[in-house]
Amino acid sequence: MKTVSKKTLRKSFLNWFFWNGCSQQAETMLGMAFGQSMAPAIEELYDAREDRSAALQRHITLFNTESQVGSICNGIAIGMEEQLANGNGSAEAIQEAKVALIGPTSAIGDSLWVATIIPLLLTICLSIANALSGAAWVGALIYMVVYPVGTYLLSWKLFNLGYKAGLEGVQRFMASGQLDRIMQAVTILGLIVVGALTASFVTCTLNIDIKTAAQVFDEASGSYVDGVISVFNLDNLLNSVFPRILPLGLTLGVYNLYAKKNWTPLAIMGLILALAAALTAIGYIPGIGAFV
Amino acid sequence: MNILQVILIAVFIYLGAIGSLVGNTIGWYCLGRPLIAAFVVGLIMGDVQTAMLVGIPLQIAYLANVTPGGAVAWDLSYATYIGTAMAIALKGTVGDEAALIGLAFTGAGIGGVVGGTMWNVHYALDVFINRWANKVAEAGDTKKMWMPNMIGGGGIGFLCRFIPAVIVLSAINAAGAASGIAIPGWFVTGISAFGSMMAALGMGIILSFLVKKGVHWAIFMGGFVLVTYFGLSTMAVAVIAAIIAVICYAVMAQREEAF
Repeated sequence: MKTVSKKTLRKSFLNWFFWNGCSQQAETMLGMAFGQSMAPAIEELYDAREDRSAALQRHITLFNTESQVGSICNGIAIGMEEQLANGNGSAEAIQEAKVALIGPTSAIGDSLWVATIIPLLLTICLSIANALSGAAWVGALIYMVVYPVGTYLLSWKLFNLGYKAGLEGVQRFMASGQLDRIMQAVTILGLIVVGALTASFVTCTLNIDIKTAAQVFDEASGSYVDGVISVFNLDNLLNSVFPRILPLGLTLGVYNLYAKKNWTPLAIMGLILALAAALTAIGYIPGIGAFV
Repeated sequence: MNILQVILIAVFIYLGAIGSLVGNTIGWYCLGRPLIAAFVVGLIMGDVQTAMLVGIPLQIAYLANVTPGGAVAWDLSYATYIGTAMAIALKGTVGDEAALIGLAFTGAGIGGVVGGTMWNVHYALDVFINRWANKVAEAGDTKKMWMPNMIGGGGIGFLCRFIPAVIVLSAINAAGAASGIAIPGWFVTGISAFGSMMAALGMGIILSFLVKKGVHWAIFMGGFVLVTYFGLSTMAVAVIAAIIAVICYAVMAQREEAF
Protein backbone atom coordinates (compact mmCIF):
# COMPACT_ATOMS: atom_id res chain seq x y z
CA MET A 1 0.00 0.00 0.00
CA LYS A 2 1.64 3.20 -1.18
CA THR A 3 0.79 6.43 0.61
CA VAL A 4 1.99 10.01 0.31
CA SER A 5 3.77 11.13 3.48
CA LYS A 6 2.72 14.20 5.44
CA LYS A 7 6.00 15.88 4.52
CA THR A 8 5.43 15.35 0.80
CA LEU A 9 1.89 16.70 1.08
CA ARG A 10 3.23 19.86 2.69
CA LYS A 11 5.91 20.20 0.02
CA SER A 12 3.38 19.77 -2.76
CA PHE A 13 1.13 22.38 -1.15
CA LEU A 14 3.94 24.89 -0.70
CA ASN A 15 5.01 24.42 -4.34
CA TRP A 16 1.49 25.37 -5.33
CA PHE A 17 0.84 28.12 -2.77
CA PHE A 18 3.94 30.12 -3.65
CA TRP A 19 4.54 29.40 -7.33
CA ASN A 20 1.16 28.75 -8.91
CA GLY A 21 1.30 31.91 -10.99
CA CYS A 22 4.92 31.91 -12.17
CA SER A 23 4.38 30.59 -15.66
CA GLN A 24 0.79 31.51 -16.46
CA GLN A 25 0.13 31.54 -20.21
CA ALA A 26 -2.63 31.02 -22.76
CA GLU A 27 -1.68 27.47 -23.76
CA THR A 28 -1.91 25.55 -20.47
CA MET A 29 -2.70 28.42 -18.03
CA LEU A 30 -1.42 27.09 -14.68
CA GLY A 31 -0.38 23.73 -16.13
CA MET A 32 3.37 23.93 -15.49
CA ALA A 33 2.80 25.12 -11.93
CA PHE A 34 0.39 22.25 -11.31
CA GLY A 35 3.06 19.87 -12.57
CA GLN A 36 5.58 21.35 -10.15
CA SER A 37 3.10 20.92 -7.31
CA MET A 38 2.48 17.26 -8.20
CA ALA A 39 6.16 16.35 -8.73
CA PRO A 40 7.03 15.48 -5.09
CA ALA A 41 4.00 13.19 -4.78
CA ILE A 42 4.72 11.51 -8.12
CA GLU A 43 8.30 10.88 -7.08
CA GLU A 44 7.14 9.17 -3.91
CA LEU A 45 4.38 7.12 -5.52
CA TYR A 46 6.10 5.83 -8.65
CA ASP A 47 9.53 4.27 -8.96
CA ALA A 48 9.68 3.45 -12.67
CA ARG A 49 10.79 6.24 -14.98
CA GLU A 50 7.95 5.52 -17.45
CA ASP A 51 5.33 5.83 -14.70
CA ARG A 52 6.78 9.11 -13.47
CA SER A 53 6.94 10.41 -17.03
CA ALA A 54 3.29 9.51 -17.71
CA ALA A 55 2.16 11.05 -14.43
CA LEU A 56 4.06 14.31 -14.96
CA GLN A 57 2.75 14.58 -18.51
CA ARG A 58 -0.86 14.33 -17.41
CA HIS A 59 -0.38 17.11 -14.86
CA ILE A 60 1.26 19.78 -17.06
CA THR A 61 -1.79 19.94 -19.32
CA LEU A 62 -4.31 22.77 -19.29
CA PHE A 63 -5.43 23.67 -15.80
CA ASN A 64 -6.85 26.85 -14.33
CA THR A 65 -8.56 27.93 -11.13
CA GLU A 66 -8.57 30.69 -8.54
CA SER A 67 -5.44 29.24 -7.01
CA GLN A 68 -5.94 30.14 -3.33
CA VAL A 69 -9.27 28.35 -3.00
CA GLY A 70 -8.29 25.99 -5.84
CA SER A 71 -5.66 24.20 -3.74
CA ILE A 72 -8.47 21.71 -3.08
CA CYS A 73 -7.90 20.44 -6.65
CA ASN A 74 -4.27 19.59 -5.86
CA GLY A 75 -5.38 17.64 -2.81
CA ILE A 76 -7.93 15.70 -4.83
CA ALA A 77 -5.40 14.98 -7.61
CA ILE A 78 -2.84 13.64 -5.13
CA GLY A 79 -5.48 11.42 -3.52
CA MET A 80 -6.40 10.01 -6.95
CA GLU A 81 -2.74 9.48 -7.92
CA GLU A 82 -2.27 7.58 -4.68
CA GLN A 83 -5.15 5.27 -5.57
CA LEU A 84 -3.84 4.81 -9.08
CA ALA A 85 -0.40 3.85 -7.74
CA ASN A 86 -2.16 1.15 -5.72
CA GLY A 87 -3.99 -0.12 -8.78
CA ASN A 88 -7.34 1.63 -8.35
CA GLY A 89 -8.86 4.13 -10.75
CA SER A 90 -7.47 5.28 -14.07
CA ALA A 91 -5.36 8.06 -15.54
CA GLU A 92 -8.39 9.24 -17.53
CA ALA A 93 -10.44 9.65 -14.36
CA ILE A 94 -7.76 11.98 -12.92
CA GLN A 95 -7.82 14.09 -16.08
CA GLU A 96 -11.61 14.24 -16.04
CA ALA A 97 -11.70 15.20 -12.36
CA LYS A 98 -9.28 18.08 -12.94
CA VAL A 99 -11.28 19.43 -15.88
CA ALA A 100 -14.51 19.11 -13.89
CA LEU A 101 -13.02 21.09 -10.99
CA ILE A 102 -11.87 24.10 -13.07
CA GLY A 103 -15.30 25.73 -13.30
CA PRO A 104 -16.65 25.48 -9.73
CA THR A 105 -13.37 26.25 -7.96
CA SER A 106 -12.74 29.31 -10.17
CA ALA A 107 -16.26 30.57 -9.58
CA ILE A 108 -16.15 30.13 -5.82
CA GLY A 109 -12.63 31.52 -5.53
CA ASP A 110 -13.27 34.58 -7.69
CA SER A 111 -16.65 35.57 -6.29
CA LEU A 112 -16.18 34.57 -2.65
CA TRP A 113 -12.53 35.13 -1.88
CA VAL A 114 -11.20 37.62 -4.43
CA ALA A 115 -14.26 39.79 -5.01
CA THR A 116 -15.73 39.74 -1.50
CA ILE A 117 -13.21 38.89 1.21
CA ILE A 118 -10.32 41.00 -0.15
CA PRO A 119 -12.33 44.25 -0.65
CA LEU A 120 -13.99 43.63 2.73
CA LEU A 121 -10.70 43.22 4.56
CA LEU A 122 -9.22 46.20 2.71
CA THR A 123 -12.25 48.28 3.74
CA ILE A 124 -11.77 47.41 7.39
CA CYS A 125 -8.07 48.28 7.14
CA LEU A 126 -8.92 51.51 5.30
CA SER A 127 -11.31 52.45 8.12
CA ILE A 128 -8.54 51.81 10.64
CA ALA A 129 -6.09 53.86 8.55
CA ASN A 130 -8.60 56.71 8.31
CA ALA A 131 -9.30 56.63 12.04
CA LEU A 132 -5.59 56.74 12.93
CA SER A 133 -4.65 59.57 10.60
CA GLY A 134 -1.29 60.06 12.30
CA ALA A 135 -0.42 56.38 12.07
CA ALA A 136 -2.37 55.35 8.98
CA TRP A 137 0.27 52.71 8.19
CA VAL A 138 -1.16 50.52 10.98
CA GLY A 139 -4.08 49.72 8.65
CA ALA A 140 -1.64 48.54 5.97
CA LEU A 141 0.33 46.49 8.49
CA ILE A 142 -2.79 44.71 9.75
CA TYR A 143 -3.71 43.69 6.20
CA MET A 144 -0.13 42.50 5.56
CA VAL A 145 -0.42 40.09 8.49
CA VAL A 146 -4.07 39.05 8.44
CA TYR A 147 -4.56 38.42 4.72
CA PRO A 148 -1.55 36.17 3.93
CA VAL A 149 -1.79 34.20 7.19
CA GLY A 150 -5.56 33.72 6.91
CA THR A 151 -5.35 32.71 3.26
CA TYR A 152 -2.47 30.31 3.93
CA LEU A 153 -4.48 28.54 6.64
CA LEU A 154 -7.61 28.35 4.49
CA SER A 155 -5.70 27.14 1.45
CA TRP A 156 -3.85 24.43 3.42
CA LYS A 157 -7.11 23.28 5.03
CA LEU A 158 -8.80 23.01 1.63
CA PHE A 159 -5.80 21.14 0.21
CA ASN A 160 -6.09 18.56 3.00
CA LEU A 161 -9.86 18.39 2.62
CA GLY A 162 -9.42 17.55 -1.05
CA TYR A 163 -6.82 14.88 -0.26
CA LYS A 164 -8.88 13.24 2.48
CA ALA A 165 -12.43 13.58 1.15
CA GLY A 166 -11.54 12.94 -2.49
CA LEU A 167 -13.55 14.00 -5.50
CA GLU A 168 -16.79 12.32 -4.34
CA GLY A 169 -16.52 13.83 -0.88
CA VAL A 170 -15.93 17.33 -2.22
CA GLN A 171 -18.74 17.01 -4.74
CA ARG A 172 -21.05 15.75 -2.00
CA PHE A 173 -20.14 18.77 0.10
CA MET A 174 -20.79 21.09 -2.85
CA ALA A 175 -24.18 19.46 -3.44
CA SER A 176 -25.14 19.35 0.24
CA GLY A 177 -26.43 22.90 0.25
CA GLN A 178 -24.04 23.99 2.99
CA LEU A 179 -21.71 25.66 0.52
CA ASP A 180 -24.70 27.31 -1.11
CA ARG A 181 -25.78 28.75 2.25
CA ILE A 182 -22.29 30.05 2.95
CA MET A 183 -22.23 31.69 -0.48
CA GLN A 184 -25.62 33.30 0.10
CA ALA A 185 -24.69 34.60 3.54
CA VAL A 186 -21.42 36.05 2.24
CA THR A 187 -23.27 37.60 -0.71
CA ILE A 188 -25.58 39.42 1.72
CA LEU A 189 -22.57 40.61 3.72
CA GLY A 190 -20.82 41.73 0.54
CA LEU A 191 -23.86 43.59 -0.82
CA ILE A 192 -24.42 45.60 2.36
CA VAL A 193 -20.74 46.52 2.58
CA VAL A 194 -20.55 47.49 -1.08
CA GLY A 195 -23.63 49.66 -0.56
CA ALA A 196 -21.88 51.43 2.30
CA LEU A 197 -18.66 51.76 0.31
CA THR A 198 -20.51 53.28 -2.62
CA ALA A 199 -22.12 55.85 -0.34
CA SER A 200 -18.83 56.61 1.45
CA PHE A 201 -16.21 56.60 -1.26
CA VAL A 202 -17.71 57.29 -4.69
CA THR A 203 -17.91 61.00 -5.41
CA CYS A 204 -19.50 62.70 -8.37
CA THR A 205 -20.57 66.34 -8.61
CA LEU A 206 -22.06 68.32 -11.49
CA ASN A 207 -20.34 71.54 -10.35
CA ILE A 208 -23.19 73.82 -11.34
CA ASP A 209 -23.53 76.65 -8.86
CA ILE A 210 -25.08 79.93 -9.97
CA LYS A 211 -24.04 82.77 -7.75
CA THR A 212 -25.04 86.37 -7.49
CA ALA A 213 -23.28 89.40 -6.07
CA ALA A 214 -24.73 90.51 -2.76
CA GLN A 215 -23.89 92.10 0.55
CA VAL A 216 -22.51 89.44 2.89
CA PHE A 217 -22.22 89.78 6.66
CA ASP A 218 -18.58 89.55 7.65
CA GLU A 219 -18.11 88.09 11.15
CA ALA A 220 -14.64 89.51 11.65
CA SER A 221 -15.46 93.14 11.05
CA GLY A 222 -19.11 92.91 12.06
CA SER A 223 -20.30 94.73 8.97
CA TYR A 224 -21.73 93.99 5.54
CA VAL A 225 -19.18 93.66 2.70
CA ASP A 226 -19.36 92.88 -1.01
CA GLY A 227 -19.49 89.16 -1.68
CA VAL A 228 -21.36 86.41 -3.53
CA ILE A 229 -24.12 84.05 -2.45
CA SER A 230 -25.28 80.89 -4.15
CA VAL A 231 -28.78 81.06 -5.60
CA PHE A 232 -28.89 77.72 -7.41
CA ASN A 233 -26.59 74.81 -6.52
CA LEU A 234 -27.63 71.74 -8.52
CA ASP A 235 -25.63 69.26 -6.41
CA ASN A 236 -27.17 70.49 -3.16
CA LEU A 237 -30.62 70.34 -4.74
CA LEU A 238 -30.17 66.73 -5.90
CA ASN A 239 -28.72 65.67 -2.56
CA SER A 240 -31.71 67.12 -0.72
CA VAL A 241 -33.99 64.92 -2.85
CA PHE A 242 -31.92 61.78 -2.21
CA PRO A 243 -28.51 62.03 -0.55
CA ARG A 244 -25.60 61.02 -2.82
CA ILE A 245 -27.87 60.18 -5.72
CA LEU A 246 -25.17 61.00 -8.32
CA PRO A 247 -22.53 58.57 -6.98
CA LEU A 248 -25.28 55.93 -6.83
CA GLY A 249 -26.28 56.63 -10.42
CA LEU A 250 -22.66 56.52 -11.59
CA THR A 251 -22.10 53.16 -9.88
CA LEU A 252 -25.26 51.67 -11.34
CA GLY A 253 -24.27 53.02 -14.76
CA VAL A 254 -20.85 51.34 -14.50
CA TYR A 255 -22.53 48.08 -13.41
CA ASN A 256 -24.80 48.25 -16.42
CA LEU A 257 -21.93 48.86 -18.85
CA TYR A 258 -19.76 46.12 -17.34
CA ALA A 259 -22.32 43.41 -16.59
CA LYS A 260 -24.93 43.99 -19.30
CA LYS A 261 -23.14 45.74 -22.17
CA ASN A 262 -19.85 43.85 -21.74
CA TRP A 263 -17.61 46.91 -21.73
CA THR A 264 -14.02 46.24 -20.64
CA PRO A 265 -12.79 47.88 -17.40
CA LEU A 266 -10.28 49.88 -19.46
CA ALA A 267 -13.02 51.29 -21.69
CA ILE A 268 -15.09 52.25 -18.64
CA MET A 269 -12.02 53.88 -17.14
CA GLY A 270 -11.70 55.95 -20.33
CA LEU A 271 -15.34 56.98 -20.09
CA ILE A 272 -14.91 58.01 -16.44
CA LEU A 273 -11.84 60.05 -17.42
CA ALA A 274 -13.88 61.84 -20.12
CA LEU A 275 -16.76 62.43 -17.69
CA ALA A 276 -14.39 63.78 -15.03
CA ALA A 277 -12.84 66.14 -17.59
CA ALA A 278 -16.26 67.36 -18.76
CA LEU A 279 -17.62 67.89 -15.22
CA THR A 280 -14.45 69.68 -14.17
CA ALA A 281 -14.72 71.91 -17.24
CA ILE A 282 -18.33 72.79 -16.29
CA GLY A 283 -17.05 73.95 -12.92
CA TYR A 284 -14.89 76.57 -14.61
CA ILE A 285 -17.58 78.08 -16.85
CA PRO A 286 -18.06 81.69 -15.75
CA GLY A 287 -21.54 82.34 -14.42
CA ILE A 288 -22.63 78.79 -13.70
CA GLY A 289 -19.48 76.92 -12.58
CA ALA A 290 -18.85 76.02 -8.95
CA PHE A 291 -15.13 76.83 -9.08
CA VAL A 292 -15.38 80.42 -10.29
CA MET B 1 15.29 58.76 -5.12
CA ASN B 2 18.80 57.39 -5.05
CA ILE B 3 19.76 54.33 -7.09
CA LEU B 4 19.23 51.94 -4.17
CA GLN B 5 15.71 53.23 -3.62
CA VAL B 6 14.91 52.89 -7.34
CA ILE B 7 16.10 49.27 -7.32
CA LEU B 8 14.23 48.43 -4.11
CA ILE B 9 10.97 49.89 -5.39
CA ALA B 10 11.41 48.08 -8.73
CA VAL B 11 11.97 44.81 -6.84
CA PHE B 12 8.75 45.35 -4.90
CA ILE B 13 6.89 46.18 -8.13
CA TYR B 14 8.01 42.73 -9.30
CA LEU B 15 7.08 41.05 -6.00
CA GLY B 16 3.63 42.66 -6.01
CA ALA B 17 2.87 41.49 -9.54
CA ILE B 18 0.95 38.38 -10.57
CA GLY B 19 3.12 35.26 -10.47
CA SER B 20 6.10 36.65 -8.55
CA LEU B 21 8.27 34.29 -6.54
CA VAL B 22 6.56 35.10 -3.22
CA GLY B 23 3.23 33.84 -4.60
CA ASN B 24 -0.01 35.65 -5.40
CA THR B 25 -1.26 35.61 -1.81
CA ILE B 26 1.72 37.58 -0.50
CA GLY B 27 2.42 39.29 -3.83
CA TRP B 28 -0.49 40.39 -6.03
CA TYR B 29 -3.17 40.21 -3.34
CA CYS B 30 -1.08 41.83 -0.58
CA LEU B 31 2.05 43.71 -1.68
CA GLY B 32 0.21 44.67 -4.87
CA ARG B 33 -2.72 46.39 -3.11
CA PRO B 34 -2.36 50.22 -3.06
CA LEU B 35 -2.70 50.56 0.73
CA ILE B 36 0.21 48.16 1.28
CA ALA B 37 2.22 49.36 -1.74
CA ALA B 38 2.07 52.94 -0.42
CA PHE B 39 3.32 51.80 2.99
CA VAL B 40 6.25 49.93 1.41
CA VAL B 41 7.22 52.89 -0.81
CA GLY B 42 6.91 55.17 2.21
CA LEU B 43 9.33 52.98 4.18
CA ILE B 44 11.82 52.81 1.30
CA MET B 45 11.71 56.55 0.65
CA GLY B 46 11.54 57.52 4.32
CA ASP B 47 8.22 59.37 4.11
CA VAL B 48 5.44 57.10 5.33
CA GLN B 49 3.17 60.08 6.13
CA THR B 50 3.02 61.33 2.52
CA ALA B 51 2.84 57.77 1.21
CA MET B 52 -0.27 56.96 3.24
CA LEU B 53 -1.82 60.33 2.32
CA VAL B 54 -1.84 59.29 -1.36
CA GLY B 55 -2.15 55.55 -0.70
CA ILE B 56 -5.60 55.79 0.88
CA PRO B 57 -7.30 57.54 -2.07
CA LEU B 58 -5.51 55.19 -4.51
CA GLN B 59 -6.76 52.18 -2.56
CA ILE B 60 -10.32 53.53 -2.58
CA ALA B 61 -10.23 54.14 -6.33
CA TYR B 62 -8.83 50.68 -7.07
CA LEU B 63 -10.64 48.78 -4.30
CA ALA B 64 -12.22 46.25 -6.60
CA ASN B 65 -9.40 45.94 -9.09
CA VAL B 66 -9.63 42.18 -9.07
CA THR B 67 -8.58 39.98 -11.96
CA PRO B 68 -11.23 37.42 -12.78
CA GLY B 69 -9.78 34.81 -15.10
CA GLY B 70 -6.39 36.52 -15.17
CA ALA B 71 -7.55 39.35 -17.46
CA VAL B 72 -5.12 42.14 -16.68
CA ALA B 73 -5.61 45.38 -18.53
CA TRP B 74 -4.45 47.49 -15.67
CA ASP B 75 -1.52 46.48 -13.51
CA LEU B 76 -2.33 47.58 -10.00
CA SER B 77 1.09 46.83 -8.56
CA TYR B 78 2.85 48.94 -11.19
CA ALA B 79 0.24 51.68 -10.92
CA THR B 80 0.39 52.27 -7.20
CA TYR B 81 4.12 51.80 -6.58
CA ILE B 82 4.93 54.29 -9.33
CA GLY B 83 2.08 56.62 -8.35
CA THR B 84 3.22 56.81 -4.73
CA ALA B 85 6.92 57.08 -5.64
CA MET B 86 6.12 59.92 -8.03
CA ALA B 87 4.11 61.81 -5.41
CA ILE B 88 6.94 61.57 -2.86
CA ALA B 89 9.74 62.29 -5.37
CA LEU B 90 8.03 65.39 -6.77
CA LYS B 91 6.56 66.54 -3.45
CA GLY B 92 8.72 69.67 -3.42
CA THR B 93 7.31 70.93 -6.72
CA VAL B 94 3.66 71.03 -5.65
CA GLY B 95 1.90 72.83 -2.88
CA ASP B 96 -0.98 71.11 -1.18
CA GLU B 97 -2.42 67.66 -0.46
CA ALA B 98 -4.85 67.71 -3.38
CA ALA B 99 -2.00 68.33 -5.80
CA LEU B 100 -0.02 65.45 -4.29
CA ILE B 101 -2.97 63.11 -4.75
CA GLY B 102 -3.32 64.38 -8.32
CA LEU B 103 0.35 63.57 -8.90
CA ALA B 104 -0.11 60.07 -7.49
CA PHE B 105 -3.04 59.38 -9.82
CA THR B 106 -1.03 60.68 -12.79
CA GLY B 107 1.87 58.37 -11.88
CA ALA B 108 -0.56 55.49 -11.37
CA GLY B 109 -1.94 56.09 -14.85
CA ILE B 110 1.53 55.87 -16.42
CA GLY B 111 2.49 52.85 -14.29
CA GLY B 112 -0.76 51.01 -14.93
CA VAL B 113 -0.40 51.21 -18.69
CA VAL B 114 3.29 50.17 -18.67
CA GLY B 115 2.53 47.31 -16.27
CA GLY B 116 -0.50 46.10 -18.21
CA THR B 117 1.58 45.98 -21.40
CA MET B 118 4.42 44.11 -19.71
CA TRP B 119 1.99 41.59 -18.22
CA ASN B 120 0.77 40.77 -21.71
CA VAL B 121 4.38 40.37 -22.93
CA HIS B 122 5.08 38.03 -19.99
CA TYR B 123 1.90 36.06 -20.69
CA ALA B 124 2.82 35.63 -24.37
CA LEU B 125 6.48 34.68 -23.78
CA ASP B 126 5.58 32.03 -21.18
CA VAL B 127 4.02 29.91 -23.93
CA PHE B 128 7.54 28.96 -25.13
CA ILE B 129 8.41 27.58 -21.70
CA ASN B 130 5.84 24.83 -22.28
CA ARG B 131 8.31 23.07 -24.63
CA TRP B 132 10.81 22.88 -21.76
CA ALA B 133 8.16 21.59 -19.36
CA ASN B 134 7.14 18.91 -21.86
CA LYS B 135 10.75 17.70 -22.15
CA VAL B 136 11.19 17.45 -18.38
CA ALA B 137 7.88 15.61 -18.02
CA GLU B 138 8.68 13.18 -20.83
CA ALA B 139 11.96 12.33 -19.12
CA GLY B 140 10.00 11.70 -15.91
CA ASP B 141 12.43 13.95 -14.10
CA THR B 142 10.42 14.85 -10.98
CA LYS B 143 13.38 16.64 -9.39
CA LYS B 144 13.57 19.18 -12.25
CA MET B 145 9.85 19.88 -12.65
CA TRP B 146 10.21 23.18 -10.78
CA MET B 147 12.65 24.62 -13.29
CA PRO B 148 10.39 25.54 -16.25
CA ASN B 149 7.87 27.08 -13.88
CA MET B 150 10.19 28.98 -11.55
CA ILE B 151 13.32 29.68 -13.63
CA GLY B 152 11.51 29.99 -16.98
CA GLY B 153 8.25 31.67 -16.05
CA GLY B 154 9.67 33.33 -12.95
CA GLY B 155 12.68 34.69 -14.82
CA ILE B 156 10.64 36.13 -17.69
CA GLY B 157 8.28 37.64 -15.12
CA PHE B 158 11.14 39.30 -13.28
CA LEU B 159 12.70 40.79 -16.42
CA CYS B 160 9.33 42.03 -17.71
CA ARG B 161 8.64 43.85 -14.43
CA PHE B 162 11.96 44.94 -13.02
CA ILE B 163 13.64 46.55 -16.06
CA PRO B 164 10.71 48.76 -17.21
CA ALA B 165 10.14 49.75 -13.58
CA VAL B 166 13.74 50.97 -13.23
CA ILE B 167 13.39 52.96 -16.46
CA VAL B 168 10.10 54.61 -15.42
CA LEU B 169 11.36 55.41 -11.90
CA SER B 170 14.57 56.90 -13.31
CA ALA B 171 12.52 59.07 -15.66
CA ILE B 172 10.51 60.34 -12.68
CA ASN B 173 13.80 61.08 -10.93
CA ALA B 174 14.97 63.09 -13.91
CA ALA B 175 11.71 65.04 -13.91
CA GLY B 176 12.16 65.72 -10.20
CA ALA B 177 15.70 66.99 -10.78
CA ALA B 178 14.46 69.33 -13.50
CA SER B 179 11.71 70.44 -11.08
CA GLY B 180 10.40 72.78 -13.74
CA ILE B 181 6.99 71.18 -13.72
CA ALA B 182 4.20 73.28 -12.33
CA ILE B 183 0.90 71.43 -12.16
CA PRO B 184 -2.02 73.76 -12.91
CA GLY B 185 -4.94 73.89 -10.49
CA TRP B 186 -7.56 72.76 -12.98
CA PHE B 187 -5.54 69.61 -13.72
CA VAL B 188 -5.39 68.72 -10.03
CA THR B 189 -9.14 69.32 -9.66
CA GLY B 190 -9.87 67.15 -12.69
CA ILE B 191 -7.58 64.28 -11.72
CA SER B 192 -8.97 64.27 -8.14
CA ALA B 193 -12.50 64.13 -9.55
CA PHE B 194 -11.37 61.22 -11.74
CA GLY B 195 -9.92 59.40 -8.75
CA SER B 196 -13.04 59.64 -6.65
CA MET B 197 -15.28 58.72 -9.60
CA MET B 198 -13.03 55.70 -10.27
CA ALA B 199 -14.31 54.11 -7.04
CA ALA B 200 -17.56 53.57 -8.99
CA LEU B 201 -15.70 51.26 -11.38
CA GLY B 202 -14.64 48.99 -8.52
CA MET B 203 -18.10 48.98 -6.99
CA GLY B 204 -19.77 48.27 -10.35
CA ILE B 205 -17.48 45.29 -11.01
CA ILE B 206 -17.96 43.83 -7.52
CA LEU B 207 -21.73 44.21 -7.92
CA SER B 208 -21.58 42.19 -11.13
CA PHE B 209 -20.17 39.29 -9.06
CA LEU B 210 -22.63 39.66 -6.22
CA VAL B 211 -26.01 40.58 -7.71
CA LYS B 212 -27.87 37.48 -8.84
CA LYS B 213 -31.49 38.45 -8.31
CA GLY B 214 -33.67 41.53 -7.88
CA VAL B 215 -33.84 41.42 -4.09
CA HIS B 216 -30.06 41.81 -3.97
CA TRP B 217 -30.49 45.43 -5.07
CA ALA B 218 -32.62 46.06 -1.99
CA ILE B 219 -29.88 44.62 0.25
CA PHE B 220 -27.31 46.81 -1.53
CA MET B 221 -29.50 49.88 -0.96
CA GLY B 222 -29.76 48.91 2.70
CA GLY B 223 -26.02 49.37 3.08
CA PHE B 224 -26.14 52.60 1.07
CA VAL B 225 -28.78 54.32 3.22
CA LEU B 226 -27.15 53.18 6.47
CA VAL B 227 -24.40 55.61 5.48
CA THR B 228 -26.43 58.39 3.86
CA TYR B 229 -29.40 58.53 6.28
CA PHE B 230 -27.84 57.21 9.48
CA GLY B 231 -24.34 58.55 9.02
CA LEU B 232 -22.63 55.29 9.98
CA SER B 233 -18.99 54.59 9.10
CA THR B 234 -18.16 51.74 6.70
CA MET B 235 -16.65 49.84 9.61
CA ALA B 236 -19.93 50.08 11.57
CA VAL B 237 -21.88 48.92 8.51
CA ALA B 238 -19.48 45.98 8.07
CA VAL B 239 -20.20 44.84 11.63
CA ILE B 240 -23.96 45.13 11.12
CA ALA B 241 -23.66 43.29 7.80
CA ALA B 242 -21.74 40.45 9.46
CA ILE B 243 -24.48 40.09 12.09
CA ILE B 244 -27.19 40.00 9.42
CA ALA B 245 -25.23 37.44 7.38
CA VAL B 246 -24.82 35.11 10.36
CA ILE B 247 -28.54 35.35 11.16
CA CYS B 248 -29.47 34.65 7.53
CA TYR B 249 -27.17 31.61 7.49
CA ALA B 250 -28.77 30.25 10.65
CA VAL B 251 -32.29 30.81 9.32
CA MET B 252 -31.46 29.10 6.02
CA ALA B 253 -29.93 26.12 7.83
CA GLN B 254 -32.95 25.79 10.10
CA ARG B 255 -35.42 25.99 7.25
CA GLU B 256 -33.64 23.18 5.44
CA GLU B 257 -33.70 20.98 8.54
CA ALA B 258 -37.44 21.45 8.80
CA PHE B 259 -37.99 19.86 5.40
